[in-house]
Amino acid sequence: MKAREAQAPAPLSFEAQILALLPQLRRYSRSLTRSDTESEDLLQDCIEKALVNRTQWRGSNFKSWVYRIMTNLHLNARRLNARRPSVGIEDAEGLAASPGVDDPLERNRLVQALETLPKEARAILMLVVVEGYAYQEVANMLEIPVGTVMSRLSRARQALREKMREENVIQLRRPR
Amino acid sequence: MTEARSVTEADLHAYADGFLDEAGRARVERFLADNPEAAEMIADWQAQSDELRAAFAPYEKSKSFDIRLLSVGFARPAAPPGRRFALAAAAVLVFALGALGGHYGPRLFERPEIRLAYTEVLPREARNAFLVYANEVRHPVEVFADEETHLANWLGKRLSIADLKVPNLQPLGFKLVGGRLLPVGGKPGAMFMYENQTGQRVTVLVGRNRENRTTSFRFASANDVETFYWIDGELGYAVTGEISRDMLQKIAEECYRQFPS
Repeated sequence: MKAREAQAPAPLSFEAQILALLPQLRRYSRSLTRSDTESEDLLQDCIEKALVNRTQWRGSNFKSWVYRIMTNLHLNARRLNARRPSVGIEDAEGLAASPGVDDPLERNRLVQALETLPKEARAILMLVVVEGYAYQEVANMLEIPVGTVMSRLSRARQALREKMREENVIQLRRPR
Repeated sequence: MTEARSVTEADLHAYADGFLDEAGRARVERFLADNPEAAEMIADWQAQSDELRAAFAPYEKSKSFDIRLLSVGFARPAAPPGRRFALAAAAVLVFALGALGGHYGPRLFERPEIRLAYTEVLPREARNAFLVYANEVRHPVEVFADEETHLANWLGKRLSIADLKVPNLQPLGFKLVGGRLLPVGGKPGAMFMYENQTGQRVTVLVGRNRENRTTSFRFASANDVETFYWIDGELGYAVTGEISRDMLQKIAEECYRQFPS
């Protein structure tokens, strides 16, 4: 799993911490949402909320605190956005192709399949897989039992797997 | 004796995610050697994970306007039409329900078989109000918490409640955001919004009930949005949130204690 951010010897200002976290936060935001626009909206809402509530941050685990704010904002917003079209990630502007992926079409199909997941399950999958959080950390962040994290993770994985299979495309597998 | 321990599904996930120590990995690998279907499933999961990481990795970058996001009040680009429309549609729904209640309410309430109507209207309107307003980042309320006295007087007057008190939910970790006037069952009602430190919001709705009756706490749940509601004499109350039922019940009980009986 990914290394936790190292504690800097001199504490960064609140703003500086947010700024440093922004790229990762942008990635997490995009992994939860359907389009770049929606993602940037969520990112802005999240930063705004973090700034307004800055006095409530208890001085530890800044990243988890901000991630939790973003996750809650996203889950609160979900029903109103119910049917906005998902924009394939290949439509996103100015993105460098990430190295080592051989089948952008397949990847896009997978990203589209994410739209069929319940939002909570999707958030948990992203926190574990993309953001590199351990199960217990996700449970702490979202204030749910670790068993719930596991069952939602499991449901997300099985749903994606079935979705990818039912569309009947032969899966290419990279040797590990 | 690790061999005897069966491999659980949680172990399989932890294996796929690289969270197991050496002994754990060895144990799962022995299991997978005998269970080709499970092995295939894990390979699929890992391929998924690789693809997802690759798909979102390019978004991990700074943008030139990032620094401006840090100043509160940053003029953001106009919300895209989809979101506006959804909000407007939901708002229309709330007011339509209110209007319907107003139009049919008095007549319906005279008929005994529709006695339950208010108890149906109340949780539904509470839920819609929550969905519309808990979502609002900038304007969740009309009057903010810093004018609590004004808020209580104003809403109290509109609801004809002499000593309306805004419930204090601080002991439960929820701070008042503010309140607004909105129709409940076609009559002026009050909504108070609270927020905890992680940004979870709950709303407390107070409406005037035509009939004088009292119910116990009732509970309604739809799509993870939970509502506790009750009618106490001429007033109906509903507490709504997307939080655990336990916490919501505590909030409802706290409100029940604090509202004038």
